[in-house]
Amino acid sequence: MNTKTTFWFFDRIHEDNLCLLYNGRFSDEITNKLIELSEYNINNIDALSKMKKKASFLMAECFQNIIRHGESTDKQEEKVVNEGFFLTKNWQGIYYITSGNLIDNKKIENLERQLQKVNSLDKEELKVLYREVLENQEISDKGGAGLGLIEMARKSGQKLEYKFEDFNSQYSLFYNQILLKAENEECSDDCPFKLSEAIGYHQKMVEEKILVIHKGDFSQDAIFPVLKIIEENLRKQHHDSASKKKIFHIMVELLQNISHHCIKEENKREGIFLIGKTDDYFVINTGNHIENSEVEKFRKQLEYLNNLNGKELKELYLSKLRERNSHNDGVGIGLVDIARRLISPINYSFEKIDETKTFVSLNVIA
Amino acid sequence: MLNKFEIQGTRDTPEIIFNPGNNQFEIKGNSLPEDTNKFYIPILEWLDNYVLNPLEETKVICKLEYFNSSTAKVLYEIFFGFQKIHSAGKKVQIDWYYDAGDTFIEDKGTEYKSILDLPFNLIEK
Repeated sequence: MNTKTTFWFFDRIHEDNLCLLYNGRFSDEITNKLIELSEYNINNIDALSKMKKKASFLMAECFQNIIRHGESTDKQEEKVVNEGFFLTKNWQGIYYITSGNLIDNKKIENLERQLQKVNSLDKEELKVLYREVLENQEISDKGGAGLGLIEMARKSGQKLEYKFEDFNSQYSLFYNQILLKAENEECSDDCPFKLSEAIGYHQKMVEEKILVIHKGDFSQDAIFPVLKIIEENLRKQHHDSASKKKIFHIMVELLQNISHHCIKEENKREGIFLIGKTDDYFVINTGNHIENSEVEKFRKQLEYLNNLNGKELKELYLSKLRERNSHNDGVGIGLVDIARRLISPINYSFEKIDETKTFVSLNVIA
Repeated sequence: MLNKFEIQGTRDTPEIIFNPGNNQFEIKGNSLPEDTNKFYIPILEWLDNYVLNPLEETKVICKLEYFNSSTAKVLYEIFFGFQKIHSAGKKVQIDWYYDAGDTFIEDKGTEYKSILDLPFNLIEK
């Protein structure tokens, strides 16, 4: 993952009011935070705020599907690892919820039959089927009984879009996408955002080992759940509290940096944030717009920092701590403190967008 | 004597109790406010007044879990305030607590100790 990755995603999702992508383990803590974040974002969109409850319900249903039906490929671990993919995005007045999880190839036929059945029914028929299943059908061993799918179709008022992708000889990836519209009309056949695009995002995330991508408002209330999702993910895999804090700190500084320095558009502080990991390192990318007039100054600051060694960075940090005048043109203490904790220089690129703004992308490895 | 200053901790701001009445000076929790200066201005103003008329002995307890770099600057300001009391000849000490293995908080404490001129104790919890 490098600065090009930031462009790749930003190019595709820059029109979204919000886009959150998650590729990793699912736990109750993580799903709660994903829902909290989505609720915050839905609340901030006037046309959608009435759908908050519905959207939360649908997301919870998707997560249950991932956790309940998700398969583990990690045989070393006794506990089932619920690897999955989740996307939520708001674009052109439509709210999309997409999820993906591994499913045993033997179960595909049955699931597909259920999906086809649900999609063949109208509103009234779905209601009848729901009652029937509730009263009659025996609960399957994983507790699903198809009720979740019926409820998803009923609450969204749309057909369930789904796709199975080959994974290996035993498993496939099952993706499904539901949409919510402010006015509860059925979506026309050529829905603007295709499930296949979401699958493309997931594939890119898997290839580049990306855990979370967030495009949207970077105010504190919006970024806090993102931080918690990542913190929760770190908690499961890193027992060393010092390295967890280091990663958390770098994220906080980068996100608050975007929040403070990006151009406010329609009163929102927007940017894109990606976090990925390899076996040994975390990779964090950010992207946001800054004024063209700020570009040269920022580039010089980054070059300056990249040329300092560890000892010089520490000295600079300590002198920044003692600096009394907070209104200065020098490099911010946050960036200095980040630079101290990286294993390589800060990678950056600037892409001029128009006569006023430039897209700046940072890539750091810790 | 100055009235006590007390603020409850939140998700992203610390609990602060500065109470000369019972010689309790504590900062605890997380600090990553959206607007750091705005959050800390009242405490810095309170401290300016306290410095003019401090207790004979002041013991400050810091039990921070996490703080961002803009907070790091403000903490320096706060410690600098206490250092003025020390320079004026009254007793002041800062006890900086960290969890075993938490080198983030431990290192931050070591850095403050290195640039301040007052008794600054690093204590493993």
